[in-house]
Amino acid sequence: MELLGSSSSSECNLGILETLSDDAIEEITESYSGLFTTVESLIAGDSSVVEEKELVSHVSTLCKYGLASLVRDHFLSSLQQAFDKGGASTFWLHFDNFRHNQHSDYGEEIHQALCGALEEISIEKQFLEKCLSTLVHALHSFEEQSSDSERVELFSRFQSMLSSTLMTTLPHHFPEILHWYFKEKLEELSAIMNNEDDDDDAQQLESDGMDLDDKLRSKNGEMDVDQGFSRHDDLVKNIGKVVRNLRSIGFTSMAENAYASAIFLLLKAKVHDLAGDDYRTSVLGSIKEWIQTVPLQFLNALLSYLGDSVRYGTTTTTPSGLTSPLASCPSPSFSKVVTPSEGIVRWKLRLEYFAYETLQDLRIAKLFEIIVDYPESSPAIEDLKQCLEYTGQHSKLVESFISSLKYRLLTAGASTNDILHQYVSTIKALRAIDPAGVFLEAVGEPIRDYLRGRKDTIKCIVTMLTDGSGGGGGNANGSGNPGDSLLEELMRDEESQENVGFDDDFHTDDKQAWINASRWEPDPVEADPLKGSLSQRKVDILGMLVDIIGSKEQLVNEYRVMLAEKLLNKTDYDIDTEIRTVELLKIHFGEASMQRCEIMLNDLIDSKRVNTNIKKASQTGTELGESELSVDILTSTILSTNFWPPIQDEPLVLPGPIDKLLSDYANRYHEIKTPRKLLWKKNLGTVKLELQFEDRAMEFTVSPTHAAIIMQFQEKKSWNSVDLAAATGIPIDVLNRRVNLWISKGVLRETRGRESNGNMYTLVESISDSGKNESEELLGGDEESERSIASVEDQLRKEMTIYEKFIMGMLTNFGSMALERIHNTLKMFCVADPSYDKSLQQLQSFLSGLVSEEKLEFRDGMYLLKK
Amino acid sequence: MFLNLGFCFHKKKKCFFLDSQCYYVFTDFKKTEWHAVASWTWDAQDETCGICRMPFDGCCPDCKLPGDDCPLIWGACNHSFHLHCILKWVNSQTSQAHCPMCRREWQFKE
Ligand SMILES: [Zn+2]
Ligand SMILES: [Zn+2]
Ligand SMILES: [Zn+2]
Repeated sequence: MELLGSSSSSECNLGILETLSDDAIEEITESYSGLFTTVESLIAGDSSVVEEKELVSHVSTLCKYGLASLVRDHFLSSLQQAFDKGGASTFWLHFDNFRHNQHSDYGEEIHQALCGALEEISIEKQFLEKCLSTLVHALHSFEEQSSDSERVELFSRFQSMLSSTLMTTLPHHFPEILHWYFKEKLEELSAIMNNEDDDDDAQQLESDGMDLDDKLRSKNGEMDVDQGFSRHDDLVKNIGKVVRNLRSIGFTSMAENAYASAIFLLLKAKVHDLAGDDYRTSVLGSIKEWIQTVPLQFLNALLSYLGDSVRYGTTTTTPSGLTSPLASCPSPSFSKVVTPSEGIVRWKLRLEYFAYETLQDLRIAKLFEIIVDYPESSPAIEDLKQCLEYTGQHSKLVESFISSLKYRLLTAGASTNDILHQYVSTIKALRAIDPAGVFLEAVGEPIRDYLRGRKDTIKCIVTMLTDGSGGGGGNANGSGNPGDSLLEELMRDEESQENVGFDDDFHTDDKQAWINASRWEPDPVEADPLKGSLSQRKVDILGMLVDIIGSKEQLVNEYRVMLAEKLLNKTDYDIDTEIRTVELLKIHFGEASMQRCEIMLNDLIDSKRVNTNIKKASQTGTELGESELSVDILTSTILSTNFWPPIQDEPLVLPGPIDKLLSDYANRYHEIKTPRKLLWKKNLGTVKLELQFEDRAMEFTVSPTHAAIIMQFQEKKSWNSVDLAAATGIPIDVLNRRVNLWISKGVLRETRGRESNGNMYTLVESISDSGKNESEELLGGDEESERSIASVEDQLRKEMTIYEKFIMGMLTNFGSMALERIHNTLKMFCVADPSYDKSLQQLQSFLSGLVSEEKLEFRDGMYLLKK
Repeated sequence: MFLNLGFCFHKKKKCFFLDSQCYYVFTDFKKTEWHAVASWTWDAQDETCGICRMPFDGCCPDCKLPGDDCPLIWGACNHSFHLHCILKWVNSQTSQAHCPMCRREWQFKE
């Protein structure tokens, strides 16, 4: 059976048997059974020298008859049998105890078990190989010219037989055990390296403070380092032994996979650990350093221990060569002198790529937070940039960031201010990653689209650009002084850019290019590679903001309204910040567009001068009469109305003494400025007044309208609204609204009058009646809810109303229409009286107004009539 | 309330409207600060300049700031123009200039 079985594969000359004599056959039979017994005892390990000699003679006899292959096959199958019975099964037995460990936690014992088992099986293998050597020897003694190829072939057959035996009986948890083992060892190694680093640092610190003698003495301190390295060496040797043993039983790739995956796992954990949630420091450097000090050093040591090719640059290879290359390396930091082998270089690239990718994924997942934290988080952005340059996975960033934008930012709950701030931070941050702006374009688009649909977007943009103190949405304007406007910041950026590396000739050219570029003419700026990047960089933020609004005219218009409101609320003529802002806007948008704003500022400057002159002239006048007021309590702002936005005029009758004061003031003006004269806008302005009650005095800052109302209560405790409206000249509906301020301050109380003449308002004479806390009352004062300047939106609304009917008619006919189509239709049909001259954005904002009034519906990008 | 009781706590204070009257609430104007808003305009009959057709309250095409920088001037005929506009007009005439509005001989009003 055995004979037939094993010989079927080789060329067994059974035919020879027939030609042989009986003697020969007997000789063969005898030798064959002799071979059986001698091989058996050889493999059993209790063969004597005599038996070995017998083996040689049996082998030679059989070879003589051309049965060498029979001998080889038998010998190998005997080895296999022996290995099956002994080595393989005992080897696996070592790991039986760990079969049911959960969560791949194998504990300390596994190290012992693995090393022991491998040691054992290696010894077994060595023994079997020694047996095989005996056979080879026997075969050689017969053959005249000994061929080494015979030996090589036999050993490789034995090796593959051994490996396949182990592989076919491999328990499923063994690879996991290997993985666990390497993971543990690498962690241990990493810990050693960390401690060393700490020691180094500590020593560095110490020796810095020491004098020369101490430094000399401290050389002894290097002992510790050496000890650290020797611990490191021992560990690597242990691991190396395991790897070598694994290789020798044919588990080369399994071992490699195991330590590779352990290294990657450790690297991943290290990256996570180093990166953390701190975006204010760069971690890429320390990650690379760690790769260099832990896994690469380990691999270097391991590969050289295993005898894989490592060439040393300056140190000579020791005669002992491959056996202990570690010992041959004298430098304490052995990475420096080694010229890395190709294998190590490949490992380095693999590890770094993996680290870059891991860090990149981590940062991309948190990009939203990182950008919220920008520019403090710029180190993280810089890291991410480098990662992406390496991996080229920018599209990952775009996809992930857009989805987090949609989920977290572009929702009804987020304020327009917050969205804008995040938009600007996004531009700044991504510009660092992607100077070409390709990905920025993709990421910015959804934000821009979303913002265009919000009604307060223009206002928020202009506020953000021009007002530093105002509507900061928590995470403020990024770099620079708090309270800076974005425009201020952009300007400073530009200045600091200019001061770096450009000489004066470049200066002006560059500035000009920048100014040209900032006009956003549709044709692109001539591409001068030297200047292009700089000027374009600057344009980005402003340009992208203007892009949301639609045109710079709209932006300037909105700013003008905002400026008008600010200026009208000034009582001290202090307009330094406004002047600065207008100057900045002039640089960006051109003098001509800011002309009207400049005139408005000029009005304030003139007003201040005129005010001083009038007071000077008045002081020379006669003594004040009993009921006359001093001109000192009056100041004024005098407008060139043609250049201001439309101002809502409301009729108002002022208390006599005040009215007299105003007309005196106007007369003086006319005297000084003939032929110019003043027309008061009596409802505008600011009045600071003190009200004295029986038991209290309260200060208020209110509009003239409010002042006029409350002053009426000096003479009469209760007023019905009809009479009060008549006395103050305020239309009754307006009056009823304005009175609310005094009611909310606890100064007036609304009471039901007996007459049908509308509401009854009664003075709250003492605090005990008011039921309100005085301190609370004193707090508020100038919450002016009514605006005197028509907002751009109101103006637009007014101008657009004539088209409303037309739009409604269109939608009745066509069912639903997209924004652009409505726009084009209006352009086509409304050519006269008045012709349609609005921009797409203006139309959109008008339509979204109609939607919020529930006249229209907006669905899937189409407008339709609300049913 | 205090009226019913027959006395007035304001009695000692100076009141502006009617000295003898009692006030329910008293505003001390001396402590008041009134900041008023006005617009200025040229005291002219017309609204626009007959030469440049721009509003008087604006300025002539050559000027940037309205008001003192671009004043109005009256002729003896009582027609008014931007000073800059009429000067240009007068200088452009080879012989005696006439008022662009009424064709009378142009003379600056004394
Ligand atoms: Zn003119
Ligand atoms: Zn002028
Ligand atoms: Zn005339």
